[in-house]
Amino acid sequence: MSQSGATVSQDCINAYNDLKLAKKHKYVIFKLSDDNREIVVEEASDNKDWETFREKLVNATHKSKTGAVGKGPRYAVYDFEYSLASGEGSRNKITFIAWSPDDAGIMAKMVYASSKDALKRALTGIATEIQANDQDDIEYDTVLKTVSKGLA
Amino acid sequence: MAQQPLTTASVPTDIYGGDEVSALVLDAGYCHTRAGFAGEDVPKSVLPSFYGSVAGTRNVFGDECLVPRADLEIKNYMSRAESVVEDWDAATNIWEHMLIKSLQPEREIHPSKNGLNDPDTKAAADGEGDVAMEDAAAAAAVASGEATEDQEKPLAESPLLMTEAPWNSGKAREKAIEIAMENWGTPAFWLTRTPVAAAFAAGKASALVIDVGGANTSVTAVHDGMILKRSIQKSPAGGLWLSSQIRSMWDSCEPKVDVVPTFMVESKVPVDAGAPAQAKLRKFPFDVSPSFRAYEEERLLTEFKESVVEVWKGPGKYTNPGNEELVKSQPGRIFEMPDGANQMWREQRFRVSEGMWDDAAALPTPGADPITKAQTIPELIRACLNNVDVDLRPNLLGNIVVTGGSSLLTGFNDRLNSELSAMYPGMRIKLHAAGLTTERRFGAWIGGSILASLGTFHQMWISKKEYDENGAGIIEKRCK
Repeated sequence: MSQSGATVSQDCINAYNDLKLAKKHKYVIFKLSDDNREIVVEEASDNKDWETFREKLVNATHKSKTGAVGKGPRYAVYDFEYSLASGEGSRNKITFIAWSPDDAGIMAKMVYASSKDALKRALTGIATEIQANDQDDIEYDTVLKTVSKGLA
Repeated sequence: MAQQPLTTASVPTDIYGGDEVSALVLDAGYCHTRAGFAGEDVPKSVLPSFYGSVAGTRNVFGDECLVPRADLEIKNYMSRAESVVEDWDAATNIWEHMLIKSLQPEREIHPSKNGLNDPDTKAAADGEGDVAMEDAAAAAAVASGEATEDQEKPLAESPLLMTEAPWNSGKAREKAIEIAMENWGTPAFWLTRTPVAAAFAAGKASALVIDVGGANTSVTAVHDGMILKRSIQKSPAGGLWLSSQIRSMWDSCEPKVDVVPTFMVESKVPVDAGAPAQAKLRKFPFDVSPSFRAYEEERLLTEFKESVVEVWKGPGKYTNPGNEELVKSQPGRIFEMPDGANQMWREQRFRVSEGMWDDAAALPTPGADPITKAQTIPELIRACLNNVDVDLRPNLLGNIVVTGGSSLLTGFNDRLNSELSAMYPGMRIKLHAAGLTTERRFGAWIGGSILASLGTFHQMWISKKEYDENGAGIIEKRCK
């Protein structure tokens, strides 16, 4: 269980398995439900364009208890594909991204950071994990470098 | 006098919003102790961890310590070397003062049951005469057996979350839950470690937390919300150490700077910069204890630290050739002592903080061990990282959380950044330091405040029932 006590909905695990086993999705974005009690699937998509995915994270919002809407953190799983620089074909790595923009509200950041463990434990077979806090961190090149360990 | 619309006792408690309305958060440090309601963004009550002991019988807290009086000794309930509780009786006393007296509504309950007149603290009431009767009643109530119901304990409705230093001992943790459960009757309790709370508050589950506090500076690696025990490094290079450097610098000044704390000064006249002070000093009909004087001097040093001292931004050490000449050509800052003496500070304000980074530049402090190379901040970070798995290091360097009041020194982050870039060339280094001063000073408290206010967190608390069944040892099992 995570340190905040938040739980993971079964949908998250199903969507993740669709991505991992059935290859139905390219990425899945997860969020906390409005009452912060449960992690749910926000979107699962087979759109291969990294920029669209990135925009989605950058524009994510979170509604605070008082109703104010600000930037929001998210979790995401992306089936990252790259070809090796040595020409030995391509590799797929399932990448977990904990997106928590520095300019999000402190409450939102805290809930997401303290609940991350619950989701990560529920999803088995993640190859790489990225903790991203500003837009540079989720540029395609930055992620590629981390995921491929410099081999792409 | 106009009637107040609501007495303190009848104000609804749900005005604080959030799910966990009445949870309290307590963050104890060597210099300050912070207490407040979960869900708020600053602690309601911040008091120095220094307290006054009057003739060894009665304790006074906060502003009451600022008045000199006979037989007043200033003490601290924490240990300076460890920043953990040393004197549990005083700790209980000061925590009760903050959590119960300042934060709880006044209750219409018998004084024998509010915990403040327990036999061991009864001495506190002595000397005030008018409470003698209640004392007697209290003694009678205690004698009449364990009649006190849980509902009547002072914190019977408030879960309590406390923070602790990552190196806190198992015994101290058990003692903390014991006090909360037995003395205050809190329905639920949790301990969280300060670096974890600070990392969470920065939105990071994994981070390298650099906490520059009053008595200690610590560097801790946090991975997925857990501290990596082997990585913990700490050193005395914090706020108080900086004060001793300032004092050493003042002592070696020509002419020597006289440290006259505010309470000594009755009146002063303006004097030119560098001229001797012409102040009329107060006379006291009793001996002011050395500990009181030291406390007051520390307050003066703190003011100097906050308004004058800066950290050399780098790159490189401050002692590198050319740097001091550059600083000398820049405008300095004027500081006026309470007695009116004032002067301009230029290169000295960089020199005093340099020892945090470079042991060779530390000023000699009589009566204390000089800082060693291993105790400087860059070396702490190096030692911390050397003790964690090599695969985790890049992630930690990319997620550095800077917290603690002493990190607010101007230039601190720039220097940290340049030292790290020099130590780990080619690595991506990113510092996260809250912009608001309160978020930096109360980082760990704020983290605890949010955690305790989460709706889902109620299933995490150690409940009174669990404590009753398992005893104090439950804390080691649950709060890992």
